[in-house]
This record gives sequence, structure tokens and C-alpha cells, in this order.
Amino acid sequence: MSAEYVLQMNHISKRYGENTVLNDVTLQVRPGEIHALLGENGAGKSTLMNVLFGMPVIHATGGFDGEVLLDGEKTSITSPHDAMLKGIGMVHQEFMLLPGFTVTENIKLNREVTNRNFVSRLMGKNLETLDMKAMSSAARKALDSVGMSIDEYTRVEGMPVGYMQFVEIAREIDKTGIKLLVFDEPTAVLTESEATQLVSVMKEIAKSGIAIIFITHRLDEVMAAADAITILRDGRLVTCRAKQDTSIVELAELMIGRKGEAMVSTEPREVPQGNVALKVCDLWVNMPGEEVKGVSFDVHEGEILGIGGLAGQGKLGIPNGVMSLYDAMGDVEIFGEKLKLGNASNALNAGIAMVSEDRKGVGLLLDQSIEDNIVFTAMQIHGEYLRKIGPFTQKNDKEIRDVANKMIADLDIRCFGPTQHAGTLSGGNQQKVCIARALAMKPRFLFVSEPTRGIDIGAKKLVLETLVRLNREQGMTIVMVSSELQELRSISDRIMIVSEGQLVDILPPGASDADFGLAMSGIKPGEHKKGGDAP
Amino acid sequence: MTKNKLQRAVAIVLVAAALVLAVLGAVNLPKRTTQTGQEIIDALRIRTLLNATGDGVVESYVKIAQDEARAKAREDAKATGANVMATIRDYVAKAEEETRAKYASSQTDYDALDTTALKAAISTYAAQLADYQAVAQQAEQAYIDAHIAEAEAAAAAARQAKIDAGQEVGEEKPVTVDMSGFVATEEMKAAQLKADEGFAAVGEALCGIYPVLDAAAVNTLKGTITDVVYQRGDEFTVQYDRYMAAGSEKALENGTAAFLIRYADDLLYGALALLVAAATVLYYELLCKKLGIPRIIIGLFFILLCFMTLWFDLGLSTLLSNSLVRMGMNSIMVLAMVPGIQCGISLNLGLPIGLVAGLIGGLVTIQLGVPGWPGFLLAIVVGCVIAAVAGWLYAQLLNRLKGDEMSVTTYVGFSIVSLMCIAWLVLPFTSLKLRWPMGTGLRNTIGLDNTNFKHILDDFLAFKVGSFTVPTGLLLFMLLMCFLVWLFTRSKTGVAMSAVGNNPRFAEATGINVDKMRVIGTVLSTVLGAIGILVYSQSYGFMQLYTAPRQMGFIAASAILIGGASTSRCKISHVLIGTFLFQGVLTLGMPVANELVPGSTISETLRILISNGIILYALTKSGGEARA
Repeated sequence: MSAEYVLQMNHISKRYGENTVLNDVTLQVRPGEIHALLGENGAGKSTLMNVLFGMPVIHATGGFDGEVLLDGEKTSITSPHDAMLKGIGMVHQEFMLLPGFTVTENIKLNREVTNRNFVSRLMGKNLETLDMKAMSSAARKALDSVGMSIDEYTRVEGMPVGYMQFVEIAREIDKTGIKLLVFDEPTAVLTESEATQLVSVMKEIAKSGIAIIFITHRLDEVMAAADAITILRDGRLVTCRAKQDTSIVELAELMIGRKGEAMVSTEPREVPQGNVALKVCDLWVNMPGEEVKGVSFDVHEGEILGIGGLAGQGKLGIPNGVMSLYDAMGDVEIFGEKLKLGNASNALNAGIAMVSEDRKGVGLLLDQSIEDNIVFTAMQIHGEYLRKIGPFTQKNDKEIRDVANKMIADLDIRCFGPTQHAGTLSGGNQQKVCIARALAMKPRFLFVSEPTRGIDIGAKKLVLETLVRLNREQGMTIVMVSSELQELRSISDRIMIVSEGQLVDILPPGASDADFGLAMSGIKPGEHKKGGDAP
Repeated sequence: MTKNKLQRAVAIVLVAAALVLAVLGAVNLPKRTTQTGQEIIDALRIRTLLNATGDGVVESYVKIAQDEARAKAREDAKATGANVMATIRDYVAKAEEETRAKYASSQTDYDALDTTALKAAISTYAAQLADYQAVAQQAEQAYIDAHIAEAEAAAAAARQAKIDAGQEVGEEKPVTVDMSGFVATEEMKAAQLKADEGFAAVGEALCGIYPVLDAAAVNTLKGTITDVVYQRGDEFTVQYDRYMAAGSEKALENGTAAFLIRYADDLLYGALALLVAAATVLYYELLCKKLGIPRIIIGLFFILLCFMTLWFDLGLSTLLSNSLVRMGMNSIMVLAMVPGIQCGISLNLGLPIGLVAGLIGGLVTIQLGVPGWPGFLLAIVVGCVIAAVAGWLYAQLLNRLKGDEMSVTTYVGFSIVSLMCIAWLVLPFTSLKLRWPMGTGLRNTIGLDNTNFKHILDDFLAFKVGSFTVPTGLLLFMLLMCFLVWLFTRSKTGVAMSAVGNNPRFAEATGINVDKMRVIGTVLSTVLGAIGILVYSQSYGFMQLYTAPRQMGFIAASAILIGGASTSRCKISHVLIGTFLFQGVLTLGMPVANELVPGSTISETLRILISNGIILYALTKSGGEARA
């Protein structure tokens, strides 16, 4: 270890087509150091790691600019296997373990200790006998080094999640010549005590001279574990700090930052304090990847409430739970009446409409015309746009055409006409069709989930302006869920930040970046100040 | 750009070729009825006649020589005392050989013969024969008209007697009038006499050419001569083909010109075919976009078959009329695919559930002996009730096995057919029309007749245009059912159902009960299957039990796919287009295939190939963009 840095990634840039996802990023890791890599979703952390591991997705899209140095020597890593041979290991966020195999077998998978036998002499190395004794003693050693007392012959199947995490770590440590370990959000699935144990294990590993890159969004863990911290934002390097030179508040602020100007400017106003439109009490939603674990909040009539937070933290689960698109539990009252969860038609009948974040999956009938999409919900829920002939019903083509033309004009949906199939529209126009469908319901309460995901900037502006107009002119109560904090800040009256399925805090749009950053990593800004963790 | 140019070049070449063919055809076609055509026919006729009679003449010489040889052998044998029989055998064989050798060459040198007299005689005789045949045909038709009612009554009585006796009643054959009581009319006799005079003249002329022929020998050749000169329904192409088949092509001074005249109509068809090909090449992209590749292939194949029936003179209009009937009889079963696809169970290959329900309805009607329309309606009602119940159970199964509909429906279809094979043996129907005369169980094929609902839709308001029969009732019923299904797809429930098929999660997000909609679609599909098999049976004239319904689900599925549907999207127009193309290809394919490969089962092979191939094609598509 003659070089100062075990890993140097200098001036890395990566473009996917027109889209620059990494722009001149530099990451330097010393031997035996725990180096935290911080950033919001989409800041470029994953891409940087893909470059480090030589993932095929990088090479398939034209490679990258910049250089990677290992122990001060320039190298080129061509594949994940190559990375492994060069002493770089990864502890995955989703476990890559074979459930039916024992701990030992998992740890030694594809690196088994073998003895030669009669058959293998004839047929080659693949038929050598496993030396189970040597393998299990090696596994034992690795397990001990991560502080796990579990028997090395236990099967992985049925183990607690935390144990699996440690088995993964043990597997990486067992690899000979490992110099650098990457931990990708290792604490996301761990309990608090397991997380604490993990941090101490990481410190142990670091002490033995192995460098660690620690990817997380939990700022307190960063402060507890890391020696140095690199912060990325929007594919750019913000800064690299040593732990002692920074504070949790500063990190939060650096992570969020100001991203350009507000896209829509609204007149500042008092937060509406009218009647409670939606009262949510202890809501639990079982939406895969976006679980909500006991959230309570009120929405007042006439306000725009923003819900923010990092991806996978449960913000999307809230509207989907209230609309009963996923199994949900809890007490929800809408305009003073109790809403029974379990069937989407209850919420729709109560006057709530939703623009789903999953446009193609839930939001649209891609194979059907724009007009059929727009009137569908209103037709099914309110029985509108139908001609009744005795017990029979028929679509009322004229009314449908009229409302579709009006929506196309109002929302500026760019199309060949109301009979064009929704699947052939661009993302932004599809989003407008989704909004038109919600508006055709004439709702009193509107959920908008990720309304600007995957659409161009002009369409974004128009969508946000439409929401503001609906709110101001028709007094529609709107709850907007978005990953883009800037967007939430530009139109919301209040912003609710969700982390790990729970409500962290409700902040005014003018709150500081640091406050938002802290809230997103699960720390209530007020409490943090009271706790006096700041330097 | 270059591709575009290439297309244009190919199209221009094709159009040019078409023009050449069209001009050739248009110039030559009228020649058939003019002097040129007549001369060709005359030349061929003389040659054929001489050929045919020439053989007879040689035989006469041979016979004479043999007789002489036999007499000479007897004498020689007597003189030498040799074995009489052996000597006769030797002499006769030798004489025959020599005679044949002598005349074989001279008889082929027809140009040397003076045929002026014969030509005139034959022309007169041909006209006389034509007169006679016209008169005879008229008289025969009059006789048939007078006796047809009698014959039909007798056939019906015989049939009834068979049924009463519990015997197997086969397919109803067209009633024919027994012509044994027919006596030639006076007019016929007069015409006959005139023709006989003509024949005498021909005989005389022949005798002039072949001195060896005598009146008796000519009389033995009368049948041959008459057949050569004129046959009922003769016209240019028929005569040309007949004389060519007899090997008379050497009589023609200009074979190519005659050939062009003979095939002038085919040249015109060819020109039309080339124009179609040119249009296809030119508008290939547009067609691909509008129709999709499978429909283009099947459509072009259908057009090709149409031209081939024209080339082979197979009677296109009759075949198209048959296609129309088969389209009508199959269309309701194809229509049954629509609710299935729209509600998201994909292709309802479990259609046999509906089919057996419909068959049971039909059996009940025959058992109760309800005739005509009431019987047909009763069959539909009973069939629909059974189909609705069975379809509901089937839908419960499909709702528990979401995502694997394709295999579930296929296996359900196969299973129900096998299960019903047992049921047909034990169901308590007692009518002798339904049961085997001996043993237990229902017949394999149950013939329908006028006492129940055979052709009840086909014959309703049916009319004929030339040889093209329009099954008005069948087509009206088909359109009515399509209209009803179309109305349903536009109702609130129908809209919700198609949303379920299109995107179940979208439907769920709107509070629609996905399972309920799938049940509605499945039941509707099964009920339509029941109606479909009854419509099919009434047109076909039989109800087929046991394993017959097994393949019908696949046929219906491939028909709608050919029409342009995918496994997740379909329209009523797909039903109509698909059924017509699929059935049209099969109907036209059979006679054309028999013409190309006589006695083959290519048509059946074709059916299996098309129906299964198109389903596979659709499945490859459904895995791609349709589901993404």
C-alpha cells in the first residue's frame, strides 16, 4: 500500500445519449478509510459505482471519460468479474444469496476449496471434490470477523434479514486480496441495533486496512461511521469533506442545494386554514417498495399540500393507499365522512380523483383513444356520457367528443385528434390526458402523484400551472407527491416529508435546504437542533 | 429512397407485362366466334375424325388380311400336312404385322388426303347434331319438371320408412328423376332423322377417302364420329381441349395463334393479377401499416386462389358463393372470440364448452320433435342456458388462474370434448334419429332434415344470381349478432369490460370489479359459442358430436387473428374480414389443390397449417408490444 489512495476516480463523466448523468466527478479513497458517498436519488451515485465495477450498461452506452486508478496505477475495469479479481467487492442492497444453500456454501460460492480426485484428473477441474472442512473453517473466520456467531452450516433460507446482510459482508471479506468494499444502502433493511452493529463491523473491517465506500442517505449514520464524505448532486461533485470538518446540518444543505429557479412562480399567500378536507389517521399501506408505516396528517380545504421524500421511502404509498390501489389500513375521513378503504370506487365516489405516477401501468388505456380515456372514469363512476335506453346504456359519442375537444384545448394536448390512441402520445401529453381524465370527474379533491416524471420541461411547466389554476380558480384541494423538491416548493402551501414510511415533518416551502435535507434523511430538523448534535 | 425507386421499377415492369397480356387477350378473345376460330375448330375436327376413323380403317385392312391369311394357311397346311392351328397362328400374325406396317405411315399423312367433301359434310352434320341436342335437352327438362314432385315424395317416404325402421339415414342426396319412362318426342325424331341424313353424307365422304370402308364399317364407327363432331354443351374452349387431348395439334398451321385464342381469357385474368401484384408492390408499406403482414399474406393468397380457379375453369362464382355460406356458418363462433379477448381472457380456446352446450340444445329440439323456427329458437334458448351456467363455472376457473389463460383455455377445451365423449354415450336421449340403431349412445353424426332446422337460416329469403347463391337469412343473422355485440361493447358494462382486458390495473383503479367483468366476458363468449354451433349445424346439415368440436376453437381463434385482431384487442370488423378470408382460402383451396395434386389431402393440411400458424404468429406478437 505504497500509494496514498487505494482508489482514485478522476474527472469521471458519463453521458447516456444527450443526458449527462456524471459530470467531472472525482472520488478518492484512502486505504482503511470509510468513505461515505452522499446524494439524492438521481445524483449519480449508482452510475459512479457502475463505472467502478465496469458494468456492461456502461460499456454498451459508449463508455465514460476520465480515469480510474487502483493503488496509484491506472487500470481499466472491463467487467464486474474483473473488478472482483482486482480486489473490489460489493455488498448489494438486495441480497444475492442462494436461499437453499448453507452459509458456508454461499460464502464460498464459485471460490470453493477443492481436492483433486480420480475423476477430476481425467475430466478436469470442474469435477474436483469439495473440501468442506477447509471451506467451513474459512467461512467461520469470515463470520467471526463480522461478529456473527451463527453456525456456518445453517441454511440462508429463513434467516432474519439482518443476518443475510452480514453473510453478504462475510462473503466479500472472505475474498482474498480484497482492497475495497462498496456498501450500497446496507442499513435500509436493518433494525436500529443491527445498523449499529453494522457500523461497528465496518469500522473493524476498515481497521484491517480495507477501504469502504458507504452509500447511504442516513446522515446520522454517515456522521457515526464515515471518515470522509463525498457529496454528489445532479451528477456533479459538490464537495469532499473530512468528517471533523463538517456537520450534519451542512451535509443536509449540501445534499439538497438550490436547483435552478422556481419553475412556476405563485403569489405568496396565507396557508388556507379552512375545514379539514382529508383527515388521515395512522395509515399503513402495503405498496411494494413504497410501504407506508403509520402516517397521520390533515389536508385543509383549498390548500396544495406537497409530499416529498426520497424514492422508496413511502411517499407514493400515501395517495395509492387512500385510493385503495394497494392494500391499506387506517382511518381516512374525506370532507367529514369516513372513507372505507378496499375499493377504488369508494374514494372516486367521494369526489377524490388521482393522477397516478404509473402512467402506462395504471393511468392510461394505451390501446384506446384519447376521448375514451378521458371520459372513462366519469362514465363508470358517475354514469355520465351515456345515453340510457331502458335498462341498456350506450356511449354518447357527441358529449364524449365535446368534452374531449374541450380538454384538448384547455390542457393543450398535442395530438391529431380525440380519436388518436393514447399509447402513441408523448409522455407529457399522456400526462395531460391523465389529468384530463381526473378533471372529467369534476373532483373536489385531487391527488397528483409524480406529475412531472419523465416529461419535458415545457410540459412540466404547463402541468404545474394547470394545478395552480385549478386550485386558485376552482378551489380544488390538491395533494401533490413529487421527488422534485423544487417543484413542491414552487407551488405547495405546505410540504410534508416522508422517510422510511413515516412522516418526518411538515415544512413551509420557504424552509432552508438543510431542513429539507435533514428531514429527507429521517431527522426532524427541530429535534436535531434541540438535540444539540450540531457543532 | 432507392427502395422506393426499386418498388416503382418493379411496379412499372409488372404493369407493362400486364398491358401486353391484356392486349393479347383482348385481341384474341373475340376471334373465338369469328371465322378464325371456326377455321381452327374445323381443322382440328377433321384431323381428329380422320385419326379416330383412320384407326378403324387400319383395323378393317388388318381384318381382311387376316381372313385371307387364315384361308391361305388352311390350304398350305393341307398341302404340306403341317399342324393346322400352328400354321394359322403364324400366318395370321405375319399378315397383321405386314398390314399394320404398310398402312401405319400412309394413314398419318393426312395432308395428302382430299378432305373438301368431308369438310362440308361434317359442318352440316355438326349443325344438325346441335339442333337435335337442343331439342332433346328441352324435352328431357320438360319430362323432369313434370315428374320431380313425384320423385321427391317417393324419396321422402323411403327415408321416413328407414327412420321408422330404426335404420341409419345417410346424407340427404339430391332427388333425381328416373329417366327410364322418357320417350323421344316427335320433334326429337324429326331432328334425329335429319341428323341421320347428315351422318350418311359424312359416311359417304369417308368412304370416298378410305376406299376400304363400306357402309357397315362406317356404321360401327357412328358413335366415335358423333362424339368427335359434336357433344352437348360444346363451345370453343371445350372442343379445343377435346381435340388437343386427342392429339390433333399437327392440324394447325399456326399453333401459337390458336393457343393464344384458346387462352385469351386466361391472359386477361393474368393481366389483372399482374396489376394487383403491381399495386401491392407499390403500396406495400401502406398496406403493411393498415393491414399487418399476416393479413396481406392471407389476402394475397386468397386473391391468388381466385385467379387459379379462373385459370383452371373451376367456377369461381359457385366457389365464392360457397365461401359466403361458410363465412356465415362460422362467423358466430368467431364472434364468440370478441368478448373473450375484450375481457382479458385472451383467445377463448375453451370455446368447445359453448359448442357442446349448443349441441345439447339441438339434441333436445330433435328429441322433442319441434320443427322449423320454433325448434331452432328452442335449441338456441336451451343451448344458451346451459352455456351460461357452464361459462360461469369456466370463468371462476379462469379467475383463479390469471396470467395463464392461453394454456388453461386450451386444456379446458380438450378436456370438455373428452368428457362429453362419455356423456354422448350415456345421455338419456331416446329418439331414433339420435341413437345408434343398435347398442347404446348417440350417433357420431346426426343428419338434420326438413323436419327440424336444416338450412333454416340459409334458405330464408335466399336468392340466386346466376350460379351465385346468396344465403340471405344466414347473412342477416350474422349481421344481427355482430350488431348486438357491437352495441354491447358500447354500453357502460362493455366499456368497463374492454378496459379490464386492456389494462386490469387501470380498471381496478377506477373501482371496476375485474373478476366480475371477466365472468361477463367469458359467459358471453360461451353463449355465443352455443349459438354459433347451431348456426353452423343448420347450414352444414349435420350435428357432429364426439371429437368434432375439438378443433373448432382453434379455427375460430385463427380466423379472428387473420382478421387483424391481437390477443388483447379486437373489433367486429376483424370478425367479418377474418372469417371471410379464412373460409374463402379453405373453400377455394380445396379444388385448386386437387387440380394441382390430384387426390391429395392438401386442403386439410392447409387448414391446419394456416390455423395453427396464425395463432403462433399472434402469440409472438402478444409477447411484444401488445403487453408491454
